[in-house]
Amino acid sequence: MSKHKLSEEKWFEQPTYYDEIRFKGYTRRDFMKFASMMAAFIGLESSAIGQVAKAMETKPRLPVIWLHFQECTCCSESFIRSSHPIVADILLDKISLDYSETLMAASGTQAEAALKNTLEKYKGQYILCIEGSVPTGADGVYCMIGGKTSMQILEEVSENAAAVIAWGSCASNGCVQSAKPNPTSATPIHKLVKGKPVIKVPGCPPIGEVMAGVIVHYLTFGTIPELDRLGRPKAFYSKRVHDTCYRRPFYDAGLFVESFDDENAKKGYCLYKVGCKGPTTYNACGVMKWNAGTSYPIQSGHPCIGCSEENYWDNGRLYQRASSFAGFGIESDADTLGKYALGATGVALAGHAILTNINKRKDINTLTAEGEAGDVDVIE
Amino acid sequence: MGKRIVVDPITRIEGHLRIEADIENGKIKDAYSSGTMVRLIEEILKGRDPRDAWAYVGRVCGVCTSTHSLTSVRTVEDALKINIPANAELVRNIMHCTLYMHDHVVHFYHLHAMDWVDVVNALKADPKKTSELAQSLSHWPKSSPGYFSDIQARIGKFVASGQLGIFANGYWGHPAYKLPAEVNLIGLAHYLEALEWQKEIVKIHAIFGGKNPHPNYLVGGMACSIGLDDVSGINAERLAMIDRLLEEGKQFIEQVYIPDLMAIASFYKDWGGIGGGLGNYLVYGDLPTKGINDPSSFKFPGGAILNKDISKVYDVDLKKDDEIQEFIKHSWYDYSGGDEQGLHPWKGESKINYTGPKPPFEHLDVKDKYSYLKTPRWNGNAMEVGPLARVLVGYAKGIEEYRAVVDKALTDLNVPVTALFSTLGRTAARGFECALTAQWGREFFDQLISNIKNGDTRMADTSLFNPETWPKTAFGVGFAEAPRGALAHWINIEDQKIANYQLVVPTTWNASPRDTKGQMSAYESSLIDTPVADETQPLEIIRTIHSFDPCMACSVH
Amino acid sequence: MAEKLLRVHRLRRIYVWELPVRIYHWINVLVLLVLVVTGFYIGNPLALMSGKEASEVYTMGWFRFLHFAAAYIFFFNFVFRIYWGFVGNKYANWKQFIPTSKAFWKELKTVLKIDILQMKGDKEEREHLSIGHNALAGLTYFGTFLAFLLQCLTGFGLYASMASWWFPKLFTWVPFLLGGDILTRQIHHWTMWFFILFAVIHVYLVFYHDYVEGRGEISSMGGGWKFIEEDFFKKNKSHTPNPES
Ligand code: HEM
Ligand code: HEM
Ligand code: NFV
Ligand code: SF4
Ligand code: SF4
Ligand code: F3S
Ligand SMILES: [Mg+2]
Repeated sequence: MSKHKLSEEKWFEQPTYYDEIRFKGYTRRDFMKFASMMAAFIGLESSAIGQVAKAMETKPRLPVIWLHFQECTCCSESFIRSSHPIVADILLDKISLDYSETLMAASGTQAEAALKNTLEKYKGQYILCIEGSVPTGADGVYCMIGGKTSMQILEEVSENAAAVIAWGSCASNGCVQSAKPNPTSATPIHKLVKGKPVIKVPGCPPIGEVMAGVIVHYLTFGTIPELDRLGRPKAFYSKRVHDTCYRRPFYDAGLFVESFDDENAKKGYCLYKVGCKGPTTYNACGVMKWNAGTSYPIQSGHPCIGCSEENYWDNGRLYQRASSFAGFGIESDADTLGKYALGATGVALAGHAILTNINKRKDINTLTAEGEAGDVDVIE
Repeated sequence: MGKRIVVDPITRIEGHLRIEADIENGKIKDAYSSGTMVRLIEEILKGRDPRDAWAYVGRVCGVCTSTHSLTSVRTVEDALKINIPANAELVRNIMHCTLYMHDHVVHFYHLHAMDWVDVVNALKADPKKTSELAQSLSHWPKSSPGYFSDIQARIGKFVASGQLGIFANGYWGHPAYKLPAEVNLIGLAHYLEALEWQKEIVKIHAIFGGKNPHPNYLVGGMACSIGLDDVSGINAERLAMIDRLLEEGKQFIEQVYIPDLMAIASFYKDWGGIGGGLGNYLVYGDLPTKGINDPSSFKFPGGAILNKDISKVYDVDLKKDDEIQEFIKHSWYDYSGGDEQGLHPWKGESKINYTGPKPPFEHLDVKDKYSYLKTPRWNGNAMEVGPLARVLVGYAKGIEEYRAVVDKALTDLNVPVTALFSTLGRTAARGFECALTAQWGREFFDQLISNIKNGDTRMADTSLFNPETWPKTAFGVGFAEAPRGALAHWINIEDQKIANYQLVVPTTWNASPRDTKGQMSAYESSLIDTPVADETQPLEIIRTIHSFDPCMACSVH
Repeated sequence: MAEKLLRVHRLRRIYVWELPVRIYHWINVLVLLVLVVTGFYIGNPLALMSGKEASEVYTMGWFRFLHFAAAYIFFFNFVFRIYWGFVGNKYANWKQFIPTSKAFWKELKTVLKIDILQMKGDKEEREHLSIGHNALAGLTYFGTFLAFLLQCLTGFGLYASMASWWFPKLFTWVPFLLGGDILTRQIHHWTMWFFILFAVIHVYLVFYHDYVEGRGEISSMGGGWKFIEEDFFKKNKSHTPNPES
């Protein structure tokens, strides 16, 4: 299993309410009495006492803090699309989502208090999930929450996190806001958090089940999933979209869509020539697909845009496979430049050849003169 | 000046919104709305391929996902005079209706409901009575006493664990909560149901656009070819799935969302008199049935209403350079021509300059600049955009579909039409149009099927896809009715590249700071006079703010 | 027309390119040709608007197969050449490629002036000559070696994710270093143009030298021999490694 086994898994050792009560010297009977009081207090029927007692005997759910910085909330949106487990079950049975600006009931000071509570009570045990990049330009003022910058908040909240999950392309590579000229100096999380595992789950957004899967892995096995060199869970990011793409036979055959909605498009040919980035993109789309296996970009006729790859906004255009060069036309890529360079070389060489020819004529004249003078080499 | 309270973060919204409000005698005297995160996507777009823009601006927001992409392809198509095939228009419309269904339901249950529904109080409900009530409201099958008592027990167990998760520190027990325990329990049950439901309806986006969030669009049409004879194309199986999803989506909206909305509203009629705000409403129009260039064909008609006067609807021109303008008097930007002026988006500038207090800070300097949102104005007027504006324009124009749904609701609730100009009206209007889009989605779908039957399977026009076919310079504007309101993008193409790209977004209209003349925008204005029972618990503030469904990532971009 | 009486130098036959170098060279030429053609196709496949079924054709598959097969040959051939740079004759030695002496730099300048810019130069410069590579050629080859290396790194880096053999897997770090396959692949593509431009200029210059100097430059890569004026050895005019020393 993972080499990133966490050194401190205190969350698994947390005492339950029952443990605490017994530790303080109360009996099982006292505990049941307390449970029924509790049930009555929160307004439940007596049939629910057993449930309440059980809740108090089970371990605390994994505390999770979910922060939003420079993002578009598509990661949260994708997360709630997970179909196994479904998000209601994750929220009610598996984790305790103690801070999430998207879903939490409390606002303002009450929200901040909830955060503070988890930071203190579950020091070193909570998982920190981050959606969005951190703008480091202008001392961080491009993202502020509660009067603090995201830089300040990240430092405070990551300090005692058991592990950090960087959701989506924003948190793991800066996504669109870090594209040139990156006006706010949007910075991915791994560049700011040091000394603890940062799990990158790239994609714009990542597939919902992938997100849930990362959390479930931690819950089930008590370790973070094994990561590749870039810090991504191998389970979901070790294969190229191209290697699992059902259109691959058309690629191998050399049968391509030449323009959108042409005959070849209707036949489902490979989208390589309309810019597909599947050959350079590591993601689980071809296998897991999106929205509970409904489809994925390529299946719906659009080339992969490489949304889980670092710097994909600057490294390529959507409908061309090669990237363009600044200062040239929108269509110009390496091949255009190459052809110009080849032309220029041809012209230069032709010029050179003509000069050479003129010079050689002089050489021949010299040699002729020398030959006519009877000059010979001396041989020893 | 009264006591200044700050709510930051405002949660259950998209993004980073801060409200500062002055309270006097239990009411809000003055309010300031500030967006505190910026990415400057407009600057990032410069120099890029216009055909790629939809993907960049799509990432402006993952909640109203697809709206910006749709608007962007329309913008580029306008600039380059590209006409898309009828099927592409229909697919875009179906996707847009899908977004409405998803976004509005999620907003109602997951972002807004907890302002009205007391989750902890739901534990006190009698499951049997709850069941009877639920069955009196609709035919929705999940309504047995056992169903509700299971939910109650599950939440009871959850609460008893002491780890309240997303419900921690909510305003439970606040005097402004008025629902009986049984209605609270229904609300809670449907919160969980809606959470499961919402992941289904978006599969329509996945079928046409490959994924959701952030489905794919294409300048010139859509990339999903109709291929009845191919497993990859839009074929009978795909169409059957869409058919089913649209039907199930519609049922949930009609049998769960609307009944819940009406039941809850009936206990909060006082909120039909709170949070009205500006009284000016702006709609660009959307859901074309005869092409985007024929506004008379729109399911969402465009127009503007001033001073709550629904007897007159004004025309709106997005291209005229003195109609829509953006101001930055109180925004952290600089204009090369000075901070007093307003710029039409074709001449728009996005040069950032933060001049606020150094964080960490207590208060913003609201006399000066205090937000990353610019301040859009229509003919100098502050305008509210969104579901209420749309419903009012449709109603004012006398369109039958709007009249029917609005009048029925007003009769059922026994409130006058003026109750619409309020927090409650906003929340109700969202439900009305959600029901309409669920219906229209089906109509568009039927039209698509009939086109295919008639042998029209075109989905994209790529004759102008190649940049070599473009003029040297081109200007375009594309608009849409996003779930949160009127949205438009303006583009300026030079030498096949984006020279300028400006977005003016629904939440920018609503949540912006004051303009040069000191006029408030919708959020601030709607907060004035809102009662605040407990200064330490800002429930009433977030109620009104949530009624707009804020999206700050959108608003600043 | 009257016969011209040309002065003819007394020439000495020198064995410059050993057989392994020649074999290396021609394998390299062949394999690079295959790599460029297949690489070009991989990058920009032709429109084959055919009504064929995918099961009937395997065009891209074959091009890729050829590319990868050629890539292996290219790589090991290149490794061999590096080895030969340490055990081969002095014309093949690694020092021919890397400027390690003042004389190297001086010759570089001379070659630039006389051969490339076709300036007059002084007498000594005009009579410059090298027996193996001239300094500029050597340095350029060093450049090509670096490009070979880059192409192998990026190529095998890309190949690693589709290979099962351990050898290509040794290169997984390359795309990671570059932040992913996108940039890796683009660098791989750009570098191809270096080879194309190099080959054109190189072949031209080989012909140029053959034409201007008449020492059998072209045939030297066939038989290994060059023909050098005797007085060259006597006067010891070479700036770079003296063939006599
Ligand atoms: C008609 C085709 C060619 C001929 C006659 C030819 C001839 C030669 C000759 C005479 C040399 C030694 C030149 C000197 O030292 O200045 C040489 C070296 C070299 N040539 Fe070519 N060449 C040809 C094509 C190519 C091509 C297409 C390439 C590769 C793109 C190539 C790559 C090299 C390299 C790398 C060397 C350095 C060899 C070494 O010392 O390892 N040649 N070639
Ligand atoms: C030195 C001469 C070489 C040249 C000129 C060359 C050229 C190219 C070109 C132009 C491409 C297409 C890139 C694109 O636009 O997407 C390509 C692809 C590729 N090359 Fe090379 N290459 C060379 C050597 C190698 C080597 C040594 C390897 C090692 C295995 C290699 C492996 C690959 C791979 C894996 C691909 C991607 C194929 C795919 O994903 O289907 N190449 N090459
Ligand atoms: N405001 C806004 Fe949006 C919407 N609806 C878009 O244009 O939310 Ni993210
Ligand atoms: S990674 Fe992409 S999808 Fe996720 S928040 Fe960022 S922009 Fe949105
Ligand atoms: S569509 Fe894209 S991912 Fe699929 S085979 Fe073609 S190039 Fe590869
Ligand atoms: S665009 Fe993204 S969603 Fe998958 S197919 Fe490509 S990685
Ligand atoms: Mg803007």
